[in-house]
Amino acid sequence: MSIEWKDYSATELWDELITPKGRARKGAGNLCRVLARLSDDELVARKAAAELAIRSMGITFTVYTGEGSGSIDREWPFDIIPRLLLKREWDQISAGLKQRVRALNRFIDDVYHEQRAFKDDLLPRAYIEKSREFRAECVGIDPPHGVWSHVCGSDLVRDADGQMYVLEDNLRVPSGVSYMLENREVMKRVFPELFEDYVIHPVDEYPAQLAACLRSLSPVKSPQIAVLTPGIFNSAYFEHAYLANAMAAQLVEGSDLVVGRDDCVYMRTIDGLVKVDVVYRRIDDLFLDPEVFNEDSILGVPGMMRAWRAGNVALANAPGCGVADDKVIYTYVPDIIRYYLGEEPILPNVPSYRCVDKEQRDYVLDNLDKMVVKPANESGGYGMLIGPKASRAERNKFARLIRANPRNYMAQPMLMLSTAPTLIDEHAEPRHLDLRPFILSGKNNYVTTGGLTRVAMRKGSIVVNSSQGGGSKDTWVVDLE
Amino acid sequence: MSLHTLSSTAKRSYWLGRYLERAEGTARLVAENGSLLMDLPKRLPLGWQPLVNITGSDTLFDELYSEPTERNVVRFIINERRNPASLSNSLNWARENARTLRGIIPRQAVEYIIELHLYAREHLSEPLSRSRRMEGLSNVPEFVQRIDGFMSANMLHDAHWNFWRLGNFIERADMTSRIIDVGADNLLQPAVELEPFADVQWRSVLRSLNANQSYTSVVQEPIQQSSVLEFLINNAALPRSLTYSLNSLRNCLRSLPRNERVLRALNRLRRYIAQVDPTTLEGEALRTFLDDFQLQLAGVHEQVNKSYFDFKPGRRQKTGDAS
Repeated sequence: MSIEWKDYSATELWDELITPKGRARKGAGNLCRVLARLSDDELVARKAAAELAIRSMGITFTVYTGEGSGSIDREWPFDIIPRLLLKREWDQISAGLKQRVRALNRFIDDVYHEQRAFKDDLLPRAYIEKSREFRAECVGIDPPHGVWSHVCGSDLVRDADGQMYVLEDNLRVPSGVSYMLENREVMKRVFPELFEDYVIHPVDEYPAQLAACLRSLSPVKSPQIAVLTPGIFNSAYFEHAYLANAMAAQLVEGSDLVVGRDDCVYMRTIDGLVKVDVVYRRIDDLFLDPEVFNEDSILGVPGMMRAWRAGNVALANAPGCGVADDKVIYTYVPDIIRYYLGEEPILPNVPSYRCVDKEQRDYVLDNLDKMVVKPANESGGYGMLIGPKASRAERNKFARLIRANPRNYMAQPMLMLSTAPTLIDEHAEPRHLDLRPFILSGKNNYVTTGGLTRVAMRKGSIVVNSSQGGGSKDTWVVDLE
Repeated sequence: MSLHTLSSTAKRSYWLGRYLERAEGTARLVAENGSLLMDLPKRLPLGWQPLVNITGSDTLFDELYSEPTERNVVRFIINERRNPASLSNSLNWARENARTLRGIIPRQAVEYIIELHLYAREHLSEPLSRSRRMEGLSNVPEFVQRIDGFMSANMLHDAHWNFWRLGNFIERADMTSRIIDVGADNLLQPAVELEPFADVQWRSVLRSLNANQSYTSVVQEPIQQSSVLEFLINNAALPRSLTYSLNSLRNCLRSLPRNERVLRALNRLRRYIAQVDPTTLEGEALRTFLDDFQLQLAGVHEQVNKSYFDFKPGRRQKTGDAS
């Protein structure tokens, strides 16, 4: 017997499967029993089977190995113990996410139109105008359905008291959904028997939902959809190819597209030029159109913005939507929800301090050793300070950075991220995790069933990013009724 | 909505086909020249220069090296970075194209292409002894044929497949014509001494095309220039003959859209080689024939390029938009 739940040290934190008394949480009983029945050899064999499946399915992500030496493809690190969420809780979270993204889209639309939010003092205009993600070129544009962020990936974390919080909203080009889909496939191969014991909600409708969402952005009856990738050396190329394939959409790079004199977007094919109606772009705004933004960009398409402005092509996500994907704007999201929707937020934010506010800044500076400090516009866990783990020198460096540019920082108390049992050398050990569901917005809204659970595989670590040693788990939304 | 074949991926399939075929042909050629020289008396004026000539890179070679010694020529053709047609460059480009065609060509083929690249880097790098070279070179065609097998058996035989084959056969026709050229080149040299060895050389040409066994069973007469030429130019069943390659090109093109211009250029070339009488191809006439052939073949390539890859988007085109 290799997994002994009574030996599992579910610390003082919240564990997703096991209570502090070492009992299975509601709904997790069957799973825990099945796992405990497996011998060392069987556990090793299942783990090996999962790794084999990942290799043979070609599930990889690309890691940059440094300047000049290029990049390598790594197999996706996967833990065979699933993470469980009860349907009832999930329905609540899902409603909260829809509400949130609806409000954020209203906010973005407002920023690029009347700017009521500033006139009504919801937040200072300067925040937006100084935001690195504000695009003056987008002012006055009316994307279909008033939606700017069509695909959003919000990161959820659970604190020690069991409460789920939204940690951040990735409104620009969130990635990871293909791993959510593949994790389920791997799980079905490795633990088929578990699927008999549970009513697990399927996740595989996502590509069809995404395709429907993208189609709803075009007035054309059967629009030509293209997934625009920066190319094979991008860390998420696997996902770009995966989604294009699953949607039967065209996978293109910037050099495949050309904007005609009629301000329409075409792709170069062996049949000649073929009009493209919707571009699901997986490259950053600033690389989208060298005529308008970064003129050195070879990833983009000259004239793309012209075509978009003329309404001849839909861009998902819309350029400029990152203005709400800013960690300082994040601190206003509960107010944004109340202001635009007149509703109370269903999902709470992590309590946050704005460094631009003197009082809050002083509090942050006095308590740096307890805080996580985040720059406004970084992603992937880069450029942040984890106060309790940082050296004095690092904290001093951040104190200087904050004083020099307070607008660029916000801080949150260090959360006690929840854990879940993770297989480490034939034993289950608690590892910290988060959850990234994906929210689609077009004519209709959709939230994935569960999402991508990311695990920090290193003991005690709370950094779950795959680029920094994170792994993942299959995420089950389970119906007990 | 239907999926279209992008010009960019079609182009990469085409070049992947060319580079791999070129790598195979180059490996055969160098190996065979080594073996030919072993069969000939040392006093003969033959050597390694013809290999440089047939790859059409005399000028570049002369810039980089002072003498066409075995060592220099082999290095130039196998490893020289500055020679765009060197074996190592062909394999580099093949690998780059294959990597960017993931999802289009079978994964095993991509893996073998990467492995072939690594193999060559390990076994065909300097310093290269003669025995090491022979062994290394003999494995390159094996690799390529394995890749070919994976492609043929596992790849969707769609437009990308047709472009890959197009690349294969254009390069193969080119390579065959160049290999004939070596034979001719050597025989053109005003060395009376070479006469008795003419059949040795033509046998070597056949061997470098892996066609000696087929020749024996089809032609059934002693090796002589005109029958070898007829076999290599006109035999429609020999996979490396010019006629076979051109017929294959035609078959690929017939399954592709917008093929009129390419087919026109190709058919002109097919008529040209069909009407040639191999017995008249002596001396300069053979040289002229081969030059014409290569020129027209380059014209076919140019049309492929213009029709499918690098067409000008300025004109409003009628498109095959299926939406």
